[in-house]
Amino acid sequence: MEHAVASEQTSSSPKEAVNRSVLGHRFASWLDRRIPPGAIIKLSQANIFIFPTRAGFVFGALLIVLILGAINYQNALVYGVAFSLGSMFIVTILYTFRNLSGLTLELAESDVGFVGEDLQFNVRVERPKGRGREGIQIGWPEGFKQWVEVFETEAAIVRLYVKADRRGWLKPGRMLVETYYPLGLLRAWTWVDIKARGLAYPKPIFQEISNRQSSRRKDEGELVDPLGSDDFVDIREYKAGDPIKNIIWRSFARTNELVVKRYASYVEPRLWFDFQDIAGDTEERLSRLTGLALKATRSDREFGLRIPGLEIPPGVGQVHLDRVLRELALYGQDRSVDG
Amino acid sequence: MVKRHAGAGIAEQIPRNSLALLMVAQLVVVIPLASYVSIWIVGVCLFSGYWRTQVYRGRWGYPPTWVKAILVVASFAGLAISGYRAFTLEAATSLLVLAFALKLIEMRNRRDAFLVIFLCYFLTANAFLFDQSIAMAIYQVFAVIVATAALVGLNQLQSRVRPLASFWTAGGLVLQALPLTLVLFLLFPRIGPLWSVPLPNAATTGLSDKITPGDVASLSQSDDLAFRVLFEGEVPRNRDLYWRGLVYSHYEQGTWSVGPALPVVAKPNSDASEFAYQIFLEPTQSRWLYALDTPTDFSPKIEMLRDFRLLSHDPVRSVLRYRVETDREVVLDPELPGWLRRRELALPEGDNPRMRSYAASLQATYNHPSDMVMAMMRELQNDFVYTLQPPTLPTRDGIDALWFDTQAGFCSHFAGAMVFTLRAAGIPARMVGGYQGGEINPVTGHVVVRQYLAHAWVEYWVAERGWVRVDPTSAVAPERVESGLRAALSNNERSALSIFTTARMGQGAILTDILQWADSLEHQWNLWVVGYDADTQSSVLKDLLGKITPLKIGIAIAVGGGVSLLFVSVALFWRRRPVGRHPAARDYSSFCLRMDRLGLGREPGETPAIYLARLAAIAKLDGAQDENLVQRALYDPEAPRSTMRALQQWLRRLQINLLFALRRT
Repeated sequence: MEHAVASEQTSSSPKEAVNRSVLGHRFASWLDRRIPPGAIIKLSQANIFIFPTRAGFVFGALLIVLILGAINYQNALVYGVAFSLGSMFIVTILYTFRNLSGLTLELAESDVGFVGEDLQFNVRVERPKGRGREGIQIGWPEGFKQWVEVFETEAAIVRLYVKADRRGWLKPGRMLVETYYPLGLLRAWTWVDIKARGLAYPKPIFQEISNRQSSRRKDEGELVDPLGSDDFVDIREYKAGDPIKNIIWRSFARTNELVVKRYASYVEPRLWFDFQDIAGDTEERLSRLTGLALKATRSDREFGLRIPGLEIPPGVGQVHLDRVLRELALYGQDRSVDG
Repeated sequence: MVKRHAGAGIAEQIPRNSLALLMVAQLVVVIPLASYVSIWIVGVCLFSGYWRTQVYRGRWGYPPTWVKAILVVASFAGLAISGYRAFTLEAATSLLVLAFALKLIEMRNRRDAFLVIFLCYFLTANAFLFDQSIAMAIYQVFAVIVATAALVGLNQLQSRVRPLASFWTAGGLVLQALPLTLVLFLLFPRIGPLWSVPLPNAATTGLSDKITPGDVASLSQSDDLAFRVLFEGEVPRNRDLYWRGLVYSHYEQGTWSVGPALPVVAKPNSDASEFAYQIFLEPTQSRWLYALDTPTDFSPKIEMLRDFRLLSHDPVRSVLRYRVETDREVVLDPELPGWLRRRELALPEGDNPRMRSYAASLQATYNHPSDMVMAMMRELQNDFVYTLQPPTLPTRDGIDALWFDTQAGFCSHFAGAMVFTLRAAGIPARMVGGYQGGEINPVTGHVVVRQYLAHAWVEYWVAERGWVRVDPTSAVAPERVESGLRAALSNNERSALSIFTTARMGQGAILTDILQWADSLEHQWNLWVVGYDADTQSSVLKDLLGKITPLKIGIAIAVGGGVSLLFVSVALFWRRRPVGRHPAARDYSSFCLRMDRLGLGREPGETPAIYLARLAAIAKLDGAQDENLVQRALYDPEAPRSTMRALQQWLRRLQINLLFALRRT
């Protein structure tokens, strides 16, 4: 099962990497073999790379200059300084590696949003017992890098934001985890794919809700709600289940019959947003439908959605809206959860 | 897909904590260099330091461009008129310190911070070109830690929470780098200089190649170290410690000088060696070296001049270690070549007429040069006074005035007068400068020679016996030669000396002990660290590895480096065994193991409570009420320790009962 998931992932990555160069593609597929994607990824010597930074190379040049100075001045203490700094550099390799080694990364929560917005991904970074981890930076290439320190606690949540540039599942892909701790002379880093994904809804285009969308089925246009409304409708015989406060006690005293008042609220006619009724190309239609759904929800109106191959019966509220937006986001896309 | 490695605005800023450390580091690094650069550069440092502090505190802004431009132009103009010769070490250091100070006020981003910290490291090393003392080394370790702390602060957010976090991290880092540093220091191949470099232009200390009687008086007051000597055998008596350094053959207008250059000669053809010792000469910026009379063998890179003094190939700019063997019995110049004779007889015409007639009378009275010297010594002994503050002498006919009028002075006065007289009487003679005596440091047993032991004496030539040493001062003040300077001084002159000088001469018990201990430490430092050069390295490595081959060195570095990194790895990665295991769980699982061995193992799917109840039934132990105990001990996070103990005891009882039950069946 795990294996199947993983292979599915690898097969899909070339699709995402259309813009990458051949080299980049080779690197990506090498990375996929070297550090396979997984929901939880533990950093170890198998997936941490270490290399000097530019500052590290300048530092190396400084060491060479110092050693040349020590040789030419025959000065043992200048040798001492050079060796001490050089040893520090080497010890730093262990520090830098230790800072990442043993960390586990997983996606704690991902947010939804509209195209053009930054989607929030909460990544959980957990360290093993022992020393705290400092100065770690995490981020996707398309987003901002965030600093994280797992020092006093054993786990920390990093909030990362990635801009959604198209609707559907936003899979930021490989995430950079790097540290320059302690001296900034070395960089330990890794690219991990924690299978993070977030849903990007189409970018809404707002327009007025036209009558056409509300006048399709008049019979569904009203709803009698005996409970929550104020408008008096009529009187009828009590039936089990009617609220006691609606019983007309005065009439009961007179006639010894239980009669209840009925109240109702007339809801505006149900709305139906139909893909076919909207102008524009597919993406524009989806955007307009998104705008309509948002608008209807804001004014508490019931609405249903019809898109090719799917009809969502009318409903109201956040849950309904989420379902509608999700369908709009995934319209025409591979709907499998992992794909 | 445009990469937005943004966040640059924030990420490129220098964290405040790191910035504070950076400013401290700059201060720490510049302080020891302050005395080697012009004073106005220190002023620029203070100015820009103050400005940067105000920026840091949010009071002032960064200086506008025109201020920076003026500062840069003014600074370079300042450098130009400061009279540095180009390409001297002082000029380079001044330039670095200046650039450092100016960078301070325009340091904004991380790249600037890296640059400044690397400069800190560089200047740390630079300071060792001027001073290699143990105190300087300790100070610079601190400087490296502070600079490293600033570097750590750039990459650490914790420092926002714990201000000293970066400092401790840096300290730990330097400490953990120590073993590898030692391995590299010990094993990294030392090679000779690749090209010539500008040298510290520090004022020469110690003796000079010119001596005008009066100069040595000021020297005598200084308790600076001249050199330390480690004798390989017995330390000679104080009166035999004539450390010969310079030979003054040329006399003109009251000043004795070394005179025209002399050729280099081979070592005297002698295997004799009375004393063998190593000298650790403090930097003098000059080439001449000190040794007892007549070196017969000495380290390479030292040559002997025609007047039998030793000369180093290069000026002594850091502590120089050399080994000498000497023998007093070697006869020097049994025959004197004509040119040398003329050199050692030369006198200017016409001055000091009274001295010349005195010489003529001596020449008439005595046949042998030695008798002439003896006569002068008698006169010195009877009529002369040893003092460090002699009356001033006229430049012209000064020797006349000394010998016949003032009759008070110190070594170079007497030596000068004697050489003049002997030359006037036709006997080749010359003044020798160096040090006389030395104090034994009881801690290490080495001899310490300080500047106040500077001395001058006389060598005269006798046919077949060669050069003979005579010290006129020993006639005036025998104590000076027998027991050191202190004994020869009057109470007044003694009290004029500083307390340290007095202590170094052996007065003031506690201070003397401390100073001797410090001197001994410094000596060991010079012996093993500062003096660790190619020669020392090869002898140490021969002891360690036997025959030295590049392969062996490589293996040694690899092994030593590996072991020292192993230490660090253990410190970094070793975790104590997880103590997280719950005591009740521990007890329970070890109980289960024991039961397993008895064949009463836990069935799959049996919970601890059910399992223990089953066992209790076998053991005929009342298990029902204790089922609750097991649950609480294992699963209640707030269960008190008494519950754990109760479980432990109950398990023990259960085990005993089970054993009985099993035996019965």
